[in-house]
Amino acid sequence: MSERIGAVPATYMGEGSGPRAWLLTTDHKRVAWLYLVALTVFFFLGGAMAVLIRVELATPAGDLVSDDAYDRLFSIHGIIMVWFFLVPSIPATLGNFLLPLMIGARDLAFPRLNLASWYVFIFGSGFTLYSVIAGGVDTGWTFYTPFSTMFSNSYVSAAAFGVFIVGFSTIMTGINFIVTVHKLRAPGLTWFRLPIFVWTMYATALVMVLATPVLAASLILIVLERVFGIGVFDPGLGGDPLLFQHLFWFYSHPAVYIMILPGMGVVSEILPCFSRRPLFGYTAVALSSMAIAIFGFLVWGHHMFVSGQSAYAGLVFSFLSYCVAIPSAIKVFNWSLTLRKGEITFETSMLYALGFLGLFTFGGLAGLFLAALAVDVHVHDTYFVVAHFHYIMVGGMVTAFMAGIHFWWPKITGRMYSETWGRIAAIVTFLGFNLTFFPQYVLGFLGMPRRYHAYPPEFAFWHILSSAGAVVLALGYLMPLFYLGWSLFRGPRAPDNPWRATGLEWKTTSPPPPHNFDETPVVDGPPYRYPLAEDGA
Amino acid sequence: MSGAVESEAFRDAERERQADAFGRWIFIGSEAMLFGAVMLVYLTARMAHPEGFGEASSRLSLLLGTVNTAVLITSSLAMALADLLVKLGRRRAAAWALAATALLGLAFLAVKGVEYADEVREGLAPVLGLPFAFEGADPRGAQLFFELYFASTGLHAAHLIGGLAAIATVLATWRRSTDAACLRRTRAVGLYWHFVDIVWVFLFPLLYLVHR
Amino acid sequence: MNEVRRLAAAYVGLLALLALTVASAFVDLGGFNSAANLAIAAAKAALIAVLFMQLPRQGVLPRLVVVAVALWLAILFALTLAG
Repeated sequence: MSERIGAVPATYMGEGSGPRAWLLTTDHKRVAWLYLVALTVFFFLGGAMAVLIRVELATPAGDLVSDDAYDRLFSIHGIIMVWFFLVPSIPATLGNFLLPLMIGARDLAFPRLNLASWYVFIFGSGFTLYSVIAGGVDTGWTFYTPFSTMFSNSYVSAAAFGVFIVGFSTIMTGINFIVTVHKLRAPGLTWFRLPIFVWTMYATALVMVLATPVLAASLILIVLERVFGIGVFDPGLGGDPLLFQHLFWFYSHPAVYIMILPGMGVVSEILPCFSRRPLFGYTAVALSSMAIAIFGFLVWGHHMFVSGQSAYAGLVFSFLSYCVAIPSAIKVFNWSLTLRKGEITFETSMLYALGFLGLFTFGGLAGLFLAALAVDVHVHDTYFVVAHFHYIMVGGMVTAFMAGIHFWWPKITGRMYSETWGRIAAIVTFLGFNLTFFPQYVLGFLGMPRRYHAYPPEFAFWHILSSAGAVVLALGYLMPLFYLGWSLFRGPRAPDNPWRATGLEWKTTSPPPPHNFDETPVVDGPPYRYPLAEDGA
Repeated sequence: MSGAVESEAFRDAERERQADAFGRWIFIGSEAMLFGAVMLVYLTARMAHPEGFGEASSRLSLLLGTVNTAVLITSSLAMALADLLVKLGRRRAAAWALAATALLGLAFLAVKGVEYADEVREGLAPVLGLPFAFEGADPRGAQLFFELYFASTGLHAAHLIGGLAAIATVLATWRRSTDAACLRRTRAVGLYWHFVDIVWVFLFPLLYLVHR
Repeated sequence: MNEVRRLAAAYVGLLALLALTVASAFVDLGGFNSAANLAIAAAKAALIAVLFMQLPRQGVLPRLVVVAVALWLAILFALTLAG
């Protein structure tokens, strides 16, 4: 660990300090930091809303907040968490930081566009935050019409407009990633030598660029209806509210893959490293990312089984929804086979990655129930659905985000963190998560509908369990804030490759120099060549 | 380091040029998805109200719509000429062609404004709470038609204004820029301008030529 | 000059198609008017893409973008209108 303590090489972190050097930077690594700070703020803001929701639900009576305030709480929780945390989370932070490093590039293809995307993100989220402060939004994160356009008297336009603006920043990031992967790979780095993380970033970017504009169109029409009185979704004027749902889910189901694919990429890097085994079935895993991106576009109708679409359309969407499970299953099997006979060690990021594997599989299987037309009609709009998407989004995505942050933290900051505290936090998070959301599956089957702030006393037992779990979960998420924060300033210096991992990002210094590599690296073989020669295996 | 690169990321100017072009095409593709979604909304509504849409469409001015289409096509020609001229190194002539493009764009907006004013006067603009009155078999369908007409042409006009702003920016820095920079910017703004033209090429028959 | 002639041909072609599409509106094609109009619009778009935007000279990646967008729009339209 003391190999380069003497002459400290130039790092991107040392290149100029003060707000100007950070706020006007075009270095992808610094832009990643800008995003990380903004997203952390949003994560804890949305988390605070979630805690308030669970506190309200700890007792059957609606005693803490009024029903109206409760609607606003869960709407803002959803809007912040989905649009301002989950969608940009891994791509904008880890993706921004790692994509050029992993392909041996000096920066993203359009560095200024990258910085611009952050400002657009901040501007859009500012709009939405304004709507929260001015009075809140009570439409849920989906802005379903006609409620959002005709009946809601909350600040829908400002919130929808904010999400619309943030969509631009998503598209900018998407364009940047696609062009970077096509045009800036290091010599010798062919497509089938790319790390899976890069494949998933590429697939994610594809979905971002093709689906976000459709969402933008529907949000524009909502704003036009509310501001200019152009009632396209208004059934009173011959408009068609169902049309909004089509457009909305054409974006939003693929958006689920915008959120989950990067997590899959992170896990695909970590599992081979800590089991010292090459990733099993590399080609299948790489191509299944693309398959998910494409199939993801075909299944949006399964959100609308009960909204009066034709039985024929329901059948088609149900079938297609089963199909999209196949590439996900391919990934899960290949990850499991990677672990087989591996020399597994349980570093913090590995614990998170294994947590992802378990929770994602469990949540995904529950998704199959929902894809079945008959079952879906039974549990539609119950806590079963809430539990399902929290298993995928929080259990899967946020866990993968934490795994990635811990895995690449030494590279990003050049500092190590406390492995003990990290492991404790990972385990606390896992337990807290299950305690929070498993009871919600049960509640859903018992028939507890979502989005109510009061409930009959017979549901109380499961709700209290869930609320207790939320406290544990909150603790699990707060801990990294402290030990990682400490590590940033006081942690021991990290070596260039603390985990003995493969991948170009580990070939440069920790933290990397301003232009990533002193010499453009040349790649001469496939990724994940574990075990390394120095492992002595 | 061959040639001059703009961004830190590239070592090779030709590669950067390809990357720029690719990025712009992706942007255009994502704009196409936006307008595609709007046209889909329109088509669904039209299938639900064939009669109302037919009646309402015949109230638009086919003459002004046709003139405007021709104006926009001509502006695209001027833009293509600008691209050609700057490639041949005739920067002054290219700047004039760009200016002509912008003037034709302004003419389009002016005609569109006249049309909007006519529609407001005839009570055909269900916008901002203005009075809307339509005599016919399906007034609701007609109202929906006009809502979508204003939404889609408004969105198109907003894009056109964006294009005008882009041309103005290019022209403002024209004298101070290198040949390579002029070519790159003309390409960029040209691609966008032609795309906005294509959008209108689809909007025109959809809105003005519903069978009467 | 070859290039200028190319652009002029595109321009004349576009105006001719415009005239055709307007004229078709005054003829009853028995329900095929809209289809004809959209086909003409597609032809105009192709002219602009090929001769003004110079799509064929752009290499494989921009063409890939066009194909991908066309495919995704087809998916969106087909599945929505089927429902």
